[in-house]
Amino acid sequence: MASLDISTPRRVAVHRYWPGLRKAIGLALLAALAFGFIIPILWMTVMSFQAGEKMFQLRTEWIPSVWHFENYPNALSRAAFAQYFLNSGIVSLSVMVGNVVFCTLAGYGLAKFRFPGSGLVLLLILSTLMLPLEVTLVPTFLVIHKFGWINTYQGIVSPLLIDAFGVFLMRQSMIAIPKDYIEAARIDGAGELRILLQIIVPQCWPALSVLAIFAFRDSWDQYLWPLTVVSNDALRTFPLGLVQFGEDYGNPPTEQMAIAVLATIPVFLLFAILQRWINRGFGLSGLK
Amino acid sequence: MAELASIGSYERGKGTGAAPSARPFWRIGYHTRVNLWGFAFVLPTLIFFAVFKYGPMLWAIALSFTSYDMVSAPQFVGLENYRTLLGDPIFRDTLVNTFVYIAGSTILLTASGLGLALAINTGIPGARHCMMVMFLTNLMPIIAVCLVWRLLLHPFGVVNQILQHFGFGRIDWLTDSATAMPAIIMVTVWRFAPYFMVVFLAALLALPDDYYEAAELDGAGPFRRFFHITLPLLMPTIFFVVVVSALLCARIFLMPFLITGGGPGNATRVLSMLIYETGFSYLKMGEAAAISVVLFAIMLVFTSLQMGLFSRSERIYV
Amino acid sequence: MTKARNWNPTRRDVVRGIGATGLGAAATASFAPRAFAQTKKPVNLSFWTFDNPQQRPWVNKRIKLFMQQNPNVKVDFQWFPFGDLGKKLSVGFATGTAPDGFVSQDWFMPVWLDKGLLAPLDVKKLGYTSYDTFVADYAKAFVDGATKDGKVYGYPMWFYGYCNYLNTKQFKEVGLDPAKDWPQNWEQLGEVAKRLTVKDGDKFTRQGFKFAMHAAQWTMIQFNPILIGAGGKWFDDAGKCIVNNEAGVRAMTIRASIAQKYGAEDPADSIATNPIPGLDFLKERCSMFFCHPLPISLVKAENPAMAEQNYFRPVQYPGFVTGKGISTTYGFNLVINAKVSDEKKETLHDLYKFMMSDLVDAWRDAAPFTFAKKTGWADNPEVQKFPYVNEIIKAKDEGVFLPRSLVFNELADAMHRGVQKIMLTKADIKTTLDEVAAEADRAAAAYKKA
Repeated sequence: MASLDISTPRRVAVHRYWPGLRKAIGLALLAALAFGFIIPILWMTVMSFQAGEKMFQLRTEWIPSVWHFENYPNALSRAAFAQYFLNSGIVSLSVMVGNVVFCTLAGYGLAKFRFPGSGLVLLLILSTLMLPLEVTLVPTFLVIHKFGWINTYQGIVSPLLIDAFGVFLMRQSMIAIPKDYIEAARIDGAGELRILLQIIVPQCWPALSVLAIFAFRDSWDQYLWPLTVVSNDALRTFPLGLVQFGEDYGNPPTEQMAIAVLATIPVFLLFAILQRWINRGFGLSGLK
Repeated sequence: MAELASIGSYERGKGTGAAPSARPFWRIGYHTRVNLWGFAFVLPTLIFFAVFKYGPMLWAIALSFTSYDMVSAPQFVGLENYRTLLGDPIFRDTLVNTFVYIAGSTILLTASGLGLALAINTGIPGARHCMMVMFLTNLMPIIAVCLVWRLLLHPFGVVNQILQHFGFGRIDWLTDSATAMPAIIMVTVWRFAPYFMVVFLAALLALPDDYYEAAELDGAGPFRRFFHITLPLLMPTIFFVVVVSALLCARIFLMPFLITGGGPGNATRVLSMLIYETGFSYLKMGEAAAISVVLFAIMLVFTSLQMGLFSRSERIYV
Repeated sequence: MTKARNWNPTRRDVVRGIGATGLGAAATASFAPRAFAQTKKPVNLSFWTFDNPQQRPWVNKRIKLFMQQNPNVKVDFQWFPFGDLGKKLSVGFATGTAPDGFVSQDWFMPVWLDKGLLAPLDVKKLGYTSYDTFVADYAKAFVDGATKDGKVYGYPMWFYGYCNYLNTKQFKEVGLDPAKDWPQNWEQLGEVAKRLTVKDGDKFTRQGFKFAMHAAQWTMIQFNPILIGAGGKWFDDAGKCIVNNEAGVRAMTIRASIAQKYGAEDPADSIATNPIPGLDFLKERCSMFFCHPLPISLVKAENPAMAEQNYFRPVQYPGFVTGKGISTTYGFNLVINAKVSDEKKETLHDLYKFMMSDLVDAWRDAAPFTFAKKTGWADNPEVQKFPYVNEIIKAKDEGVFLPRSLVFNELADAMHRGVQKIMLTKADIKTTLDEVAAEADRAAAAYKKA
């Protein structure tokens, strides 16, 4: 806070005081807004330590009188959650890597190369945004079945491997890179892949980070597709387990919250790691 | 790779100003090769989309003209599925619900995204941290979101408890057909507004300062500045947000599915749910494919808008 | 070798397993020698069932035991949520990934049979001397669901009737005697429920009675006996849905009366609280509930006091005529996929025969879920000493079945939506039932065209 300079006349002193106070009030309001926004997340975390009976009481107990840490190991043991989380991890990491690799390749091809039909190709790729899995569920399932990939990791991962949005994202971030670098490198004899890896990619970390976090989150969230393509308990991903958890007799709802908290941690962690670049990737570097 | 290197060495020392007609043959080849690389980079993605997007969609369109229960072979029935859908009150209700949901969510998402962005972009230190905290709701696993909100919206739940303090009576959010769809829209906004807040923030930060300085010098107040400078400059972004959120909402499945199961009655049933139920509960794959085509048509409209937007604007917002 | 990858043993499972091995050895020793011992070629089977905390582990246990005794047989055991099993099976059949053997819910049998997806069973291999002895071992209704054109397609397994479960402690609290004052007709149900209700402002801290509102199948099961008891029917002889006729309206009015006339139920709470409505009864948030037989282990897990002091008991459904209540009976058949090889068929027959050979063991693990079979278990003293077991058996024997319709799913969903409209949005009963009937008819017509 600015210190009050006693030597200056009163009117000026008030002027100096005023913006600080305004900012403090503004920050308090914003903080309250942010806090209010995440109350559900906090509630979920608090509830995950409560006994099952506390869930449907008329007055919620926001600070548990008894902390039931055993909710977590109990919840995990009721179904093969270790396996489910492992499966989700494998699927999400594969989808993230697949997106990073192929969207970068395709984005680069569309951003920096002028082959005949590149406009049409861009259009074709963008138009797959109107063909989400919800629309193509049945035939996609039949395609996976033809490949013999029902109940396999590749079966779950394949339709999610590349997202048109990611291609678009990478393209946009690469368009801004001046052509001179690339031409110079070509003249120096660098191969196309080397150019991509050593010149283009390092300049695209922000966009890559955004792509990575969204690709991870979207595949981490997948429910409908694994539900359709998996009938073997060993391959279930955690969303299937979490929903089924709530439908089984005798599972306290607070333990379901415990699993939900565990499921939230990896995404938040990834965000924390990539945060610096994500901010830049969104174009928020100018934000205070 | 080796040939490129040798060609490159030929180029050393030569300028780029040679006229096309004077270019030696292998230089034309160089450009073609480079462009071929470009095509090669795009090829895997194209193949992928052909197999997993275009192929299935064409198959779905074909299926929509058949009656197919997955056990025996499909039988051609022409437009029968579409006729059935037109006469089915549940399909009509679902279609209306989907449009209501898209409209309500899109308007609220755009307004709240912009509102939040304006609130953050006030130069208050620490605002960025508040923004990041809010962004967490966009990252939370959607299953957790649905389960948590279903419990929060219980007649005994936290939302009602808070509202009680303000004098509201009991509201049966998820079981009263008047409040069920608004409740789903509310959860949607909670989940996605932070993302659009970030989009708007990026756009706001990119706005040139000159206009604002000129306006301040001319004595324009904050409201006039907003309506006459900010809003017009943000139009492309607003349009982008509207289209993207409409696309997002058209395909929504999990939120109505897990929170209300489509109820009460049909109040929150949306098209994607109907596709899943018709296909996998009733084994009417042909009819499910027909509904998919309808959903596809809706998304086609929004995507065309979006593509028109992308090709026009220079500055693309993530 | 025979370890199933997806089995995470709890202490309970391990103890049961040890006990079962001993009991199983003793039990099987008394039966006729296994008929298939000739072939020792390795056989790989897949078997699917639905998830239930008592039944599924027992089925798994028997299969494991079978694998131990027949080391050349490997069974891949999978289970799914109750509501999902039918869907998974349909998709499996469509894509050729259906299991070799599975447990079919009784009301799905018409669909599988209509599409020719089940293999006929050889009752001799199951341990019966002839078709007639097989039929004699069951009441007619069970057989009807499992046979077609004189051939047997399903081996009826667990079948049970719904009972009205009472919280006797709460009865006594309000001055009622559960043995004498249990509701024998619908008016009495309403009155008793009203007395048992406890409210806090506009919220119910205890509902006198509760209908399940969370799943279409429960809606059907709980409404079925009301409809039949009122003299109504789901379909007439021509196949048209007549749930909207006068009897149907009367039945639905009765169902709605508990909440709307007597103020003893909170339908909104029923849905929103979700998981299993039976849980609300076990947590003492409602005093009466129509439910399938409740295992002691479940009660113990949810409400140890209730289990120890035994203050819950099943009684018969209330009726339109006092004392003449009927229940819904439903259950599950063991079936075989039509497309499996003869060798697998033989092995599956042996497996099923083995599974059903010690029903008393099943009773120990999964009481009080009852069986369709007349012989082999009901007279056993262990069974007889289960509290109120005769009420439970009576409900099963006298109950009415769910409509075995080709469009059961569509009908169930339509009824479920209709009940939601009536109970939650106070829609007009006749109009809503008209809509339900229209939907069912549309689905049936579409099915015929296919």
